[in-house]
Amino acid sequence: MAIQLEQVSYTYADNSLWKQTALHEITLGIPKGSLTGIAGATGSGKSTLLQLFNGILKPTQGTVQVLDVTMRAGEKSPKLLPLRRRVGLVFQFPEQQMFEDTVEKDLCFGPLNFGMSPEEAKERARKAMLEMGLDLGLLTRNPFRLSGGQMRKAAIASVLAMDPEIVVLDEPTATLDPVSRAELISQLERLCREQGRTIIIVTHRMDELLPYADRWILLKDGKIAFQGSGGELAADPDILARCGLGVPHSLRYWRGIAGRFGLAGEKPRLTPESLAELIASLPGAGTSGRPEEEGGCP
Amino acid sequence: MSEAYQNVEDAEEVQAVIKLEGVSFGYDPEHPILHNISLSIPRGQWVSIVGPNGCGKSTLVKLMNALLPKSGGEITICGHQLGEETIGAIRQCIGMVFQNPDNQFIGATVEEDILFGLEGLCLSYAEMEERLRAYTVKLGIEDLLSKHPGELSGGQKQRVAIASILAMKPGIVIFDEASSMLDEASRDELLRILQGMRAEGQYTILMITHDADEILASDRVLALHGGGLAADTTPQKLFRNIELLEKCHLLEPYPWRLARELQSRGIRVDVPASEKELIDTLWPYN
Amino acid sequence: MNERLLLGRSIETGSWVHKLDARSKLTGMLLYVAVILLSDSWPSMALLAAFSIAVMASTRIPLKYFIKAAKPLRYLMLFIFIVQLLSVKAGDVLWSAGSFSLHEGGLRLAAFSVIRMLFLITFTALLTFTTTPGKLNQGLEGILSPFKKLGLSPDRITLMISIALRFIPTILDEAQIIMKAQASRGADLQELPLKEKARMLVSLLVPVISSAFRRAQDLVYSMEARGFRMDAPRSRYHRLRWGAADTVFVAMFVIMGVAVALL
Repeated sequence: MAIQLEQVSYTYADNSLWKQTALHEITLGIPKGSLTGIAGATGSGKSTLLQLFNGILKPTQGTVQVLDVTMRAGEKSPKLLPLRRRVGLVFQFPEQQMFEDTVEKDLCFGPLNFGMSPEEAKERARKAMLEMGLDLGLLTRNPFRLSGGQMRKAAIASVLAMDPEIVVLDEPTATLDPVSRAELISQLERLCREQGRTIIIVTHRMDELLPYADRWILLKDGKIAFQGSGGELAADPDILARCGLGVPHSLRYWRGIAGRFGLAGEKPRLTPESLAELIASLPGAGTSGRPEEEGGCP
Repeated sequence: MSEAYQNVEDAEEVQAVIKLEGVSFGYDPEHPILHNISLSIPRGQWVSIVGPNGCGKSTLVKLMNALLPKSGGEITICGHQLGEETIGAIRQCIGMVFQNPDNQFIGATVEEDILFGLEGLCLSYAEMEERLRAYTVKLGIEDLLSKHPGELSGGQKQRVAIASILAMKPGIVIFDEASSMLDEASRDELLRILQGMRAEGQYTILMITHDADEILASDRVLALHGGGLAADTTPQKLFRNIELLEKCHLLEPYPWRLARELQSRGIRVDVPASEKELIDTLWPYN
Repeated sequence: MNERLLLGRSIETGSWVHKLDARSKLTGMLLYVAVILLSDSWPSMALLAAFSIAVMASTRIPLKYFIKAAKPLRYLMLFIFIVQLLSVKAGDVLWSAGSFSLHEGGLRLAAFSVIRMLFLITFTALLTFTTTPGKLNQGLEGILSPFKKLGLSPDRITLMISIALRFIPTILDEAQIIMKAQASRGADLQELPLKEKARMLVSLLVPVISSAFRRAQDLVYSMEARGFRMDAPRSRYHRLRWGAADTVFVAMFVIMGVAVALL
């Protein structure tokens, strides 16, 4: 397990400037090398949960174990700086946290803080750019002159430059256009599959992550409402409505077809391509469809 | 939808509430941000404006009420030709809802935010009271009047912004990516509000968006690309034009993509309205 | 209840203080400052305390809110207390060790300073607790209106104040997030030596400032789109009305001032 939470509660101190939801008795496990989606309505505690993963927040009750570091409520936690290098936390709108005048300097900020040499930091910066599918030519550019999608990716690269084993992202695709969103998600999936990093993504657009996520955690009012694979979620989509979330198209169509042909036990086909492939292989679909003249599509 | 669009096109000249002729914007004439844009929008139409980030969508709508100064061309809004003396009248015709729910909340409370625009119109107390009541009820925020923005969700703040704007009774309402920072439930809610506004028939709606559901709900699509108008079409045609979608950085909605994938495998189906419709179409006799 | 609520936010209970004209509350507040400065003996302090608590109680807002409002400044008050205690060498010696001594006058002045500050903060809180920012602004505009002849523009001043009040909590929130984000990139102010801290400050200030500018730009668009023009005529929804209760309220402070001056 990369991250394990045992009976973790978090309550904001009374004098906090903050208005965020507390967490109640969360127990969860996130396996190493997995791609996990976290969803929940606004105010369900998603952002609070993420901040426990790299020790920005410490549990007020229970135990948080991240990699080999254990944080117990009430105990003095070990020095967290090394952990923060290994767990990259990308906040919402990360491009708004960039501050240097070149992309390269911004990417080197993290590595230098964690004690890497300037040469090493630059090397890490270049690797991170490639990992996010960005052109190395952008390194000398001013981050504020990049396009929206590029700026977002560069900001995520500035966290990847620390070479974290776990990458946690809070709504990484918010406000991007659909093509940039899809590109970013597939880039993040590649990080997981090709490099074995553990990726955790908070999203309120489940549709775009459903085909890729190994596991889902749904939060409701600071408690865990669901924890399991996409397949298990597909078997009980009502849980989504109970969490104040809509049922994505991909799940609805899969449920419909799977229900009709008794495929509920199989691995869900959540992309249009894979579902179309399946439908084409099912008996009768190709022949008993509408006659050609009525098909409205060109 | 496309039929209605055809009809209004004929009478466009007399009915246009927004008319742009050869409009350009840019500080450097060699590299204008918008170049030579002409378009005409009839009263009551709901228009989606689409295009990749940075193509000038937001700039285009900000030229219409002189939030940004055009560098060339003519703009006519509700019969007023945009100029120094008509800015006030034009801003009264156009209401704008922006992307960031926090940054457009001017007052310290919901009530103050709605009053900000009304006081500027120099309305009487009775009139302000009436509008305050009517529009907070309409947007379902009548219980939030004394709330501070910090106590509201993003979706609630956007509803306050819409109430503030509709209370000023504009004929044209422009939504500048107003749903992009909202969660799913609030996005659906915003769409229902827009559909309600269209049903009332007194608003011309311009909406900058990437959201397929919002685009599909509108009457007409203007696609911007590289500082110019790349297409003036309908949502149905947009989502069938893969090349144009790519240009605008848009993706087809799931059912459209599924239908296309099925077609490419030799299964002729229309875009289904639901999974049930798809199954009934594919296997009608089982 | 989070603390942000206490910054420029009203707590509605419908008490008589809530219903007062903002101008009378502002005038009362100014007189109160004078009363605080005039109080320089234990009896006058006691009278001040009794009066203040009575007025606070009459708002029907729980006293703990007032105490909470003063809490952020507790260290400053402690600091002032210690500095005064150590530096003022007047009156009888209370305690001494070598060249070091504490005096009765020092203790008295230190205690007075802290009590004054405490009352000043809790009483200012009373003003914001019982008055919505909009009404407060309007009251301020009313009080400042005589200065129009001197070329001062009260509506500009109040607009400035209201925007600041509106956006300070938002910007503070954002600064917190940026701090956490940079801490996640290894720039934790708590875990770094002092020299490094200065460098880290840049990584906080640049994003906070650029974001404030972005918000300002958005706000300007939003105000202009709603037809706002500086110095253009506006009507008012809430009107200022000076009633008998307002006169009583102001008179109370005048009487307090006289009483304290006589003690």
